[in-house]
Amino acid sequence: MSIIEVNHLTKEYRLGAVHGLKEILLNTGARLIGKKKVPERPLFKALDDVSFSIEQGEVVGIIGHNGAGKSTLLKMLSKISTPTRGTVKIEGRIAPLIEVGAGFVPDLTGRENVYLNGAILGMPRHEIDRKFDEIVDFAEMEEFIDTPVKRYSTGMQVKLAFSVATSIESEILIVDEVLAVGDVAFQRKCIGRMETLINTQGRTVLLVGHNIRQLERICSRMLLMKHGRLECDGEPGKVSKLFLDDTTLKPEHGSLDLSLQPTINTGDIEVISIEVVTDEHVDGTPVCKLFDNLHIQVRINVLIPQKNAEITIGLHTPEMTFLTKSNTAALGHAVNLDKGIHTLNITIDHLPLCPGTFGIGLAIHNWMRHPLWMGNRLSWIMIESQPDITQKLPPGTMTYLPTHWAINAEQPEPTAP
Amino acid sequence: MIAVFKNLYDYRELMAVLAWKNITLRYKQAYLGIAWALVKPLMLMLIFTLVKSFVGIDSGNIPYPLLTFAALMPWIFFQESASEGVNSVVGNANLIKKIYFPREIFPLTAVITKLVELGIGFFILAGLMIWYRFVPGIYILWVPLIILYTILAALSIAFVGAAFNVYYRDVATALPVLLSLLMYASPVIYPLQLVKDKLLVQQAAGEWSNLLYTLYTLNPMAGIIDSFQSVVLRNAPPDLNAMIPGAIMIAILLPLSYLYFKRAENYFADVI
Repeated sequence: MSIIEVNHLTKEYRLGAVHGLKEILLNTGARLIGKKKVPERPLFKALDDVSFSIEQGEVVGIIGHNGAGKSTLLKMLSKISTPTRGTVKIEGRIAPLIEVGAGFVPDLTGRENVYLNGAILGMPRHEIDRKFDEIVDFAEMEEFIDTPVKRYSTGMQVKLAFSVATSIESEILIVDEVLAVGDVAFQRKCIGRMETLINTQGRTVLLVGHNIRQLERICSRMLLMKHGRLECDGEPGKVSKLFLDDTTLKPEHGSLDLSLQPTINTGDIEVISIEVVTDEHVDGTPVCKLFDNLHIQVRINVLIPQKNAEITIGLHTPEMTFLTKSNTAALGHAVNLDKGIHTLNITIDHLPLCPGTFGIGLAIHNWMRHPLWMGNRLSWIMIESQPDITQKLPPGTMTYLPTHWAINAEQPEPTAP
Repeated sequence: MIAVFKNLYDYRELMAVLAWKNITLRYKQAYLGIAWALVKPLMLMLIFTLVKSFVGIDSGNIPYPLLTFAALMPWIFFQESASEGVNSVVGNANLIKKIYFPREIFPLTAVITKLVELGIGFFILAGLMIWYRFVPGIYILWVPLIILYTILAALSIAFVGAAFNVYYRDVATALPVLLSLLMYASPVIYPLQLVKDKLLVQQAAGEWSNLLYTLYTLNPMAGIIDSFQSVVLRNAPPDLNAMIPGAIMIAILLPLSYLYFKRAENYFADVI
């Protein structure tokens, strides 16, 4: 018995603005005398024939680029909007968390908002009364609960809202990009709470987000949306890899910027090029394998001479988590850059990276360690999958360190006579 | 029909909370607080009394301020319920776009909010009645029914107006103008008795008089205001003849208005 069943769901929107009265009158008039109508606005398919079903207790992540139809899908599931064609069948109460804190009223106090938000999400008053302390406790808000919400910080609002929304006793929980907010400690707490909901109460959870790694960790299944279609449906590791490959293989489509755009540039030094020295390329992206030596060549033009500068290079994931960094301090002597063009040859030995796409970041600091030039996503490398090693690795890891296994059976303890 | 009421019963707590929110918000940072709800009827009463002193309106044996205040109470309740109701859907766009519950909750909540303000008006009415030494009789028990009828009249406008307002904001702008016109077509400043005398007794418009009177009473507020004054001040039963045309009108309009609203609500989130 599926808890959610979606059949051939299609949602069309008309592009452009709502007709003015004039067009409506013209259209009606034209129809009355049997003439052709004034041309209609073109249709846009936000969802295109999407079908899937979700079982009780599944935790499903929905991923996709902006505008792929994720939020439209959630709106259909939570009945906010009606499908153009197709059906959505849902068994049980649904707690829509589409953007936490929808319906928070700035002028009311935290306490009042808990009751208001609870009622909006469909919690009866006695249930809120019963859970009030727990809600406040989880959000760590005892001190501020009688202060108007307009004086809260964004983080505080989100904490309170998340706390209210997850205390609803609903069979289905829908969460849209919520885990992206709040500090790390609270994020961890949220994930903990989600896991409790999932594991101990057997709730069905739908998550939408852009933090692929985080979703991969909590979900038991993933849906990949693309241009309103359901592109892939399956095991999280597989789906997220497909999504990341799709993202990274097409840098010209805009998601990944390949130009040398520094975030800091004082004008003292110009970076001419950053190049990964390799023969293999796929669609213009250099390709390496696990344990290859990575050669990076950087050419810089020093316009103002720098004494005792420091140059740092690093590798990061598309989500901007740095996996390694190294700087010229490793040389053991001061780096003095004279005026003119310099070439830096950097080699990282035995790259311990698993298949995926990684970006290169570069920073140059002066003698006071103030940044002169700094930028990330300057160039991309793709780590290829190899049948002998990497394909045997468990999913959900970015690095691999050679590990040795030994399993020895120990002498069994003699059983008592 | 029963399903509609059951559904609303399920959401009674939400409506109560939303109405409470509306009221708290409106008067939260105001020193006078909810007393502001009384300013409008009192001011209008004073102005009308002032006007009356040089125009001359026959108010029978009831003091004019009392009579006009008893007319203003249901009128302002109707007028504000209707216009708040029309604005309620667009005004809650952030909720409409994010959470689902039956959308008729918004117009209904607007009416409930105004009901609280109407309740406060009763204290002033009681004060005026004590001042003028008026003792209400048994017919005052009609008041809840009359108010319920006023709610239905306001909802007939609120549902269709709120749905239309999602597509064309003209409605919210045009409505105050139309409603203030309607006030002059309702026995607020003058008692219904004057219209009755002119048309039914004196037959001022010749053979058209009876028809004109029926047309006049098609406005449900004509019957509502008159019967409210009757049961509270005249200790008389409501004049059913004045109520029937309006009641028929509402009996037709309200279901149509509600059906249109329910049909349109599916697209609120897309269009708003």
